[in-house]
Amino acid sequence: MRTFAAAALAVLAATALVPASPCAAATHRVDDSGTLPIESTALLRWRQTAPSSTRDDTLEGATAVAVRLNLAPWTDRDASLYLVFPQQDSAATRVRWTTQGRLLPGEISPGERVLVYRGPITSPVLEETLTLHIEADGNRLARVQQLDFHFEIDTD
Amino acid sequence: MRAINITSRAVAGGALAVIAAMSPEPSGAFTVSITARNPRTLYLQVGVGSFNGIYTSNGTPANNATVNVVSVTVPAAQVGSGAVQTMTTNSTASISFYDNFVFCNAPAQLYVGGFYRSTSNTGPATLTATSPPNLVNANGDRIPFSQISWTSSGNGDSGAQPFPAGTFNGATQTIGTIARNQWAESCHTFRYANSNFVANGTYTGRVVYTLSAP
Repeated sequence: MRTFAAAALAVLAATALVPASPCAAATHRVDDSGTLPIESTALLRWRQTAPSSTRDDTLEGATAVAVRLNLAPWTDRDASLYLVFPQQDSAATRVRWTTQGRLLPGEISPGERVLVYRGPITSPVLEETLTLHIEADGNRLARVQQLDFHFEIDTD
Repeated sequence: MRAINITSRAVAGGALAVIAAMSPEPSGAFTVSITARNPRTLYLQVGVGSFNGIYTSNGTPANNATVNVVSVTVPAAQVGSGAVQTMTTNSTASISFYDNFVFCNAPAQLYVGGFYRSTSNTGPATLTATSPPNLVNANGDRIPFSQISWTSSGNGDSGAQPFPAGTFNGATQTIGTIARNQWAESCHTFRYANSNFVANGTYTGRVVYTLSAP
């Protein structure tokens, strides 16, 4: 009797833990370790060459990123992919991006998460090139800064 | 019952370990490095300058090698009398390239302006003027450069000028500053003190203005 009860409890415990699997409806961080910027450093220019009364001290520039996402855990499932730009201590104020069509274009600010794909995951690897158009506060970019991004997936 | 509970905890612990191994949460992230291509940019215009368009219409600065002349002819009867002689310029620069506003009154005034762009909060840009000790004529006669001074104003201005009134000192001196990410401009009206009785002739000397950033 005691043995049977223990087995039943074990099954219940395992069942309760199943939703943590990547195959369940949830948000997961995507393995984007194969993603690399094409340039080592994006060089930003003053949007307005000279200072103005409107105090537009924006720096802007573009750089490309070769995205490679490992979507194998979610193959043959419907899912939503998001680009995440966590809040961080940087001069960047806004990033727009264009794509080659596999992901959606859009724009993002620090602290935001923006949809880049919704639909079936048909391949274990998704490759795309994002061209990032970065805007930064010229009063806060005295030296090289690093902007951290990552991708998240919501399974339906 | 206590024995069963102990057993169940052990089993549940095992299940947790297995599931954790099956669903690793990747810690992926990619990093983009950014920096300013031109972290510091300076523009200085003394007298005539050049701008491609007007700044407020997306104009950009250009080079202009013109060296303007500020001069006065002192009537013979007044040489050395102490009667201040207002000087005039050969500059035609009356408008500000910032907004096309008629800020100075050429040729009576000399436009002095510029801007300083910087991503670093390390202090303002400084405008200096370097004058020789004397103006000299063809015979080597001299007039101290300190005989020349200027007042500062600007059409429509009511506050303090960024490049205020002063007197040349025959050396390098500070004319004013431009705060980070600011445009600053003033109009200088020069005058000759005329306090020395000097031989006739044309006395000349060149003042070099330099805008430098930290």
